[in-house]
Amino acid sequence: MQRRLPLLLVLVLGIFGAAAFVIPHPAVRGVDEVMRNDVIRIITAFSLVLGVGSIIRHHLIKIRRKAEHWPFSWVTLITLVVSAILGLFGGIDPASPGILFRAGGVGRFLGTFHIQVLYENMMVPLAATMFALLAFFMASAAYRAFRARNFEATLLLIAAFILMLGAVPLGRMLIKPLPEFAEWILTVPNTAAKRGIMFGVGLGTMATSLKIILGIERGWLGGGGK
Amino acid sequence: MKFWDKLLAIDRRWIYVVIWLVVMIPLLVPFGIKPEAMPPVKMMFAYIDTMPEDKALVISVDYTPDTEPELHPMYISLLRHAFATKRKVGVLCVSSVMSLGLAESGLRQVLEEFNSRAETPEDSIVYGRDCVNWGWSTPFITILLGLGERVTNVFPVDYFGNRTDTLPIMAGLKNYDDMGIVVSIAGSSVPLSWVNYAHTQFGVHMGCGITAVSAADFYPYLNSGQFTGMLAGMKGAAEYEQLTAEKMAALGLDWDLQRKGTEAMSSQTAAHIAIMVFILIGNFAFFITRRRKQ
Amino acid sequence: MFLALTLAVTLAGIAPASGVTAADRPNDGGSTIQVTWTRSPDEGIIGYRVLRRADGAVEWDTLTMVGRFIARYNDQAAEDGTRYQYAVLAVSDTAAAVSEPSAWAASKPQWYNSERTTALIGSLIFTFLIVFFTFQARSGRKLFIRRIGGLDAVEEALGRATEMGRPILYVPGLSSIADVATIAALNILGEVAKKTAKFGTPLIVPNRDPIVYTVAREVVKEAYTSAGRPDAFNPDMVFYVTDQQFAYAAAVDGIMVREKPATNFLMGMFWAESLILAETGASTGAVQIAGTDAIGQLPFFITACDYTLIGEELYAASAYLSHEPLLLGAIKGQDWSKLLILGLIIIGTILQLTAGVPVIDIF
Repeated sequence: MQRRLPLLLVLVLGIFGAAAFVIPHPAVRGVDEVMRNDVIRIITAFSLVLGVGSIIRHHLIKIRRKAEHWPFSWVTLITLVVSAILGLFGGIDPASPGILFRAGGVGRFLGTFHIQVLYENMMVPLAATMFALLAFFMASAAYRAFRARNFEATLLLIAAFILMLGAVPLGRMLIKPLPEFAEWILTVPNTAAKRGIMFGVGLGTMATSLKIILGIERGWLGGGGK
Repeated sequence: MKFWDKLLAIDRRWIYVVIWLVVMIPLLVPFGIKPEAMPPVKMMFAYIDTMPEDKALVISVDYTPDTEPELHPMYISLLRHAFATKRKVGVLCVSSVMSLGLAESGLRQVLEEFNSRAETPEDSIVYGRDCVNWGWSTPFITILLGLGERVTNVFPVDYFGNRTDTLPIMAGLKNYDDMGIVVSIAGSSVPLSWVNYAHTQFGVHMGCGITAVSAADFYPYLNSGQFTGMLAGMKGAAEYEQLTAEKMAALGLDWDLQRKGTEAMSSQTAAHIAIMVFILIGNFAFFITRRRKQ
Repeated sequence: MFLALTLAVTLAGIAPASGVTAADRPNDGGSTIQVTWTRSPDEGIIGYRVLRRADGAVEWDTLTMVGRFIARYNDQAAEDGTRYQYAVLAVSDTAAAVSEPSAWAASKPQWYNSERTTALIGSLIFTFLIVFFTFQARSGRKLFIRRIGGLDAVEEALGRATEMGRPILYVPGLSSIADVATIAALNILGEVAKKTAKFGTPLIVPNRDPIVYTVAREVVKEAYTSAGRPDAFNPDMVFYVTDQQFAYAAAVDGIMVREKPATNFLMGMFWAESLILAETGASTGAVQIAGTDAIGQLPFFITACDYTLIGEELYAASAYLSHEPLLLGAIKGQDWSKLLILGLIIIGTILQLTAGVPVIDIF
């Protein structure tokens, strides 16, 4: 039963979802939309609780076992709690304060430490820093990977070179039509290759969905079912 | 011989140091690199440069602070070009409220550049007579369609709270018919919505300023003529800066203003060249060690 | 306001729009009426207002204003079964002129979307091929599958991790469960977990999406059970990190640097963080096997990882790893479908180019 029920649910709902593609009538489409929007949202809300439970447990275990770098687990747990409290009870910004910042709340000890301040001054710069690492990683990856080991690698190397030169004014100075050629590489061979991969991806997506709907693929049930 | 082996397995932190230096140094000390405008930039410049004098340049500031380094120089250059050639300018924001500050600070900066050097009242740029900042409004589609009927209906007051129907500039800037071109500068797909509503429905000329990574999505619309011109990424900004600077010099406004796009191009060029040199060194070392092994 | 507009009036000499039609939009779920008109020949028109009145109402309501180049509007606020009449008001700077009203029209929902017939036929053929080859596989016919380097390396990579006493890191992509790439990644995770269970190799599965986290945990648990090692399963192997893209990337980078996994699997959907993950992994000396259908991220994986599953290889991977004949049958069906599409493209191109047959219009 534990096996059969999920398989049956997937079969019924899968076929229903596929039918909704060709049946626009609200009797079918409406139910499909409820499944796609509302049911998924409800499931997400529950799984978010499990997720938060998971991260708390993961770090508590680390702290208890004094695993390597365990003090950082405290950082994670404390920021989790502080940002959750600020987000839930602090309101968005000084213009719309939550309970914490209303008269008599603890807000007077926090000054302007709203969730928006937290977001703008911590989240945004931290995310931007991670993103900026790409410049360095691209250089080191290019250094290791772009080597003329064989014919394909040589082609890749030459194409990369032309594109990089074409994107800076130096390219035009060295060879006049280089930027146009770089653009041709992007629009013709590149697009052709992309489309080829997309065909494969499209069919692969359909096949995987079909295998799951028909119960042939049971990897998502933990590879069991034999 | 050991040298080449070492070079092949170089600690990547050396590469990081070099990249950091070639990005930072040209930012602090830009080297003179003269951008040469590509056709999409030239088309935009030429259109604004030659449009009838009574038509206004309208700039939709649709980018937010996260894409400011790439897109703000475009806004500044467009304003300089319009003011230098005595075109009326309207500025608005239709996507994010976060854009408002950028729209205002850019306009204030360029007004200051012109007015601090003005010798006669005619030379100065007067807010309300030569330019206007309509501010932000929502919902988006209503604004785009409403501008086709009457600007003052959609924006009854400007950014500063002045009633728009009292501003002299608005007498000659009623709707899309009075706009020579609308340039939407954005890090998102907002310029495509402008094409759908303003260009397709009302026939107004459109231009766009976009980030380098999204440029590929916009080329089809440029080729079909739905965009009159396109500035893509730092390179597009630098090219427009170059054309504007040349034009201003020809008009006797040789002020040597700061050109952030062009300055950043030094950094970008240096980084590209550094990566290419790395690849060359890597391949050279690879061939030498391979030959030795054979 | 438009009380007086039930009659066609012409103010200040501008010509109104003409030939206004209204009809139910076909192939939809109802509530939409298509309105079309012929534009006014006058130059000075700014745009058109679309007016509507329900059966029995006297007053006209303004639905919207559209630009001067527009000659159609979809009224999506119609109530099914109610009859409506439409008119179009041409507006210039100083004047307005209203058209003759359209005939009465009502919207209704349809049971079949005929525009999707081609897609339906294609899907049925595809389903038939997959089912056909799956049955063939079930009847015991041997099926050939080409070697995929990245997947051959899985076994070896697991052995290496066991020898070195280091863990395996498995990232199931950053997308939600609605992404088929994520599901493919979870299928592969099942196979990988069975092997780590067998070898007793520690497994680390950090997650970005809470639903994917719950599914991934079940997948790993079931895999350990089916490998006969339920005791070796530790719920802390699979955990949730955060749904912030770059915070997640930072966390996974941290795991790579601290735990020094012998092998990193990066499977599923990735965005701008792909190279940040792959390059950090490369710097720790791990063997890296990546797989994604995100075309934009493929170049990064190819340059920074040891093996990369490109597009459909990701989907084929669980069949390949499990050697399950039924799954191999589906791959064969997929290949035949691809051959069919290729054939159609070639024949279509030839027909269009040589005989001028408008092949595209058929679809």
